[in-house]
Amino acid sequence: MNVLIIEDDRALARELGLFLYNEHYHCDFARTGREASEKLFVNEYDFVLLDLGLPDQDGLQLLAQARQERNQKASIIILSARGSVDDRINGLNLGADDYLPKPYSLLELGSRMQAVTRRKHGVVLDKLGFGEFTLNLGDRTLRYGDTALEVTRKEFEILHYLLLHRGKVLTRLQLSEHIWGNNINDSADHDSNYINVHVKNLRKKLTQQDPVTDWVETVRGIGYRLRLEDEPAPTT
Amino acid sequence: MKLQQKLVLLTTLSKGLMAAVLLLILPWLVQTLVLRHTDEALRTELRQVQTRIEQVGIFEFLPQNQTQRRTHYDLLQDEFIDLQAVTAKMPPDTIGTFPRQRQGSEVDFRVLRHTATYQGLRYIIEIGKSIESVQEVYELLRNLAVYALVFAVLTTLLLELGVIGYLLRPFDHIVERLRAVQGPTPLAAPPLRTSTSDFQYLDASIQQMLLKIQSVFEQERQFIATASHELLTPISLLQNRFENMLRAENLPEEAETQLVTSQKTLQRMTVTLRTLLLISRVENNQFARTERVAVRGVVTEVAEELEDRINDSALTIRWSLSGEPTLAPANRSLIFTLFFNLLSNAIKYNQYGGQIELTGQPTPDGGYRLRISNTGKPIPAEHLPFVFDRFRRFDEDAAEGYGLGLAAVRSIAQLHHIPIQVKSDLQHGTEFSMHLPPAA
Repeated sequence: MNVLIIEDDRALARELGLFLYNEHYHCDFARTGREASEKLFVNEYDFVLLDLGLPDQDGLQLLAQARQERNQKASIIILSARGSVDDRINGLNLGADDYLPKPYSLLELGSRMQAVTRRKHGVVLDKLGFGEFTLNLGDRTLRYGDTALEVTRKEFEILHYLLLHRGKVLTRLQLSEHIWGNNINDSADHDSNYINVHVKNLRKKLTQQDPVTDWVETVRGIGYRLRLEDEPAPTT
Repeated sequence: MKLQQKLVLLTTLSKGLMAAVLLLILPWLVQTLVLRHTDEALRTELRQVQTRIEQVGIFEFLPQNQTQRRTHYDLLQDEFIDLQAVTAKMPPDTIGTFPRQRQGSEVDFRVLRHTATYQGLRYIIEIGKSIESVQEVYELLRNLAVYALVFAVLTTLLLELGVIGYLLRPFDHIVERLRAVQGPTPLAAPPLRTSTSDFQYLDASIQQMLLKIQSVFEQERQFIATASHELLTPISLLQNRFENMLRAENLPEEAETQLVTSQKTLQRMTVTLRTLLLISRVENNQFARTERVAVRGVVTEVAEELEDRINDSALTIRWSLSGEPTLAPANRSLIFTLFFNLLSNAIKYNQYGGQIELTGQPTPDGGYRLRISNTGKPIPAEHLPFVFDRFRRFDEDAAEGYGLGLAAVRSIAQLHHIPIQVKSDLQHGTEFSMHLPPAA
């Protein structure tokens, strides 16, 4: 999939490109509004990642142009450090598919891009499973076989996120960014330490049903990962 | 008291005073005028009598049988002319009020006495008018004067009332306009229509002041946007870099731990920066207050959001909110942040197994009194006045906090005109109490 990264900060664009490259996206870069307009005119992209604070043009203006004049089919995600109160609303009104205020977690961006892709292709993820567990995304429930488990909203979201990135280690920070969102108005100190509490509770509930497998694995003070299906149990 | 009322009172008092003085001196004034008029009339008559005597001669004038004296009354005996020969030397002309017999009773007459010499003989001519007849004119004049006075006072008063009201109207316009100002937005109002230069001056000064404030606000808005961009971009870069580095295969364990620690530090910085920006934006009036916010719903939502932390510290929340407090106009997401910060504070600074109490009841003024208290360690009295200040945190041993949560609470409360107080003691713990203004 082709991604156009419109970002005037070179280093930031490089990190973004590196991450997306590892996620098997093909990246193109533009540092100014003009450059971006040209590239949008010539090429077709699946994603446009748009920084609003461009040196020569307001990002929202570019967004409006891209949506109206060029009839771009690309999904547009705004990445903004401006954090003005109206930017989010204006951006979404102008046809952006999503909005992430800086700083964001790359993993969160990746997940949002996947979600946008699924939405675009009409793919509805309604169930995710691991072992005997089923995560029902429609009614937001967790079942073990036929037994419904009582999980809190946060626990559900953590499990969902771990499941989406199954096998990978997710840091507490990534998890907290995901479940507490990135609301620009939200200044509450969502301490990433509280993730531990949620995971502890979640793990308790899972092992109550399935005492054999430790599904949510703690990784050396970094974070957590959801064990793969066929993985041998750790020796320690 | 309003200026208009004061002015009206002043003119009323001054007019009253003037009327009182006039009424006091009026009888004397009218009397003097009437007497002077009477005296003048008597003199005129005297001249006529003299002319007549000169024409016909004094002997013709006097009656035939009696040559010494002639007295002539008019029909009603209100006036008389008395001609009398005298031998003694008499004073020159006098005028005065003297009693005189009339139809058996003594009546006061205004009398002009004139001495004249005719054919070698000395005569006195007296011309008189009864005071009674003068009195009538006097009363008529006095009444007229009183009526005129009352009429004048009333009409000028009414006129002044109207004029004062009209003159002061621009003042009300200015106040109205000022009250309509919600933020540092320019006044679109046309120039004030008044010919009073004082009001024009006032209006111009206010406009100028507002423009100044507006430009300061605009500068600050610009500054916030720039600072936000300049600070958040490098943070963003670092965060992304750490994240990418952590994804690398075969990363030594030590490096991983360090990266995670750095990430945490960075996150703290982000939270601090975001809170600072939030406070600045609130104070820069960048948040629209357009919603009606049901406070109970927001607080419930906040409590749900924090449920896990509450459970983790084995806290119990006691709810006793009566009524349905509503904030309007308000900004819901800000109100959420306000209660989130207060409640998360109540959790953070509580003791294990402690309590959080949420009480509230409507106040007589249509507002609402809301209290959030916790059973945590009390805040020392000397710290209480400063808890809402930026970057003040006194308890170094307490759980992590950034000293900005309460500053944000205060800014949001101020934006919504919510007075907020804190009290804290060993017995009752710490209590934040707010007075929510009546919904508009």
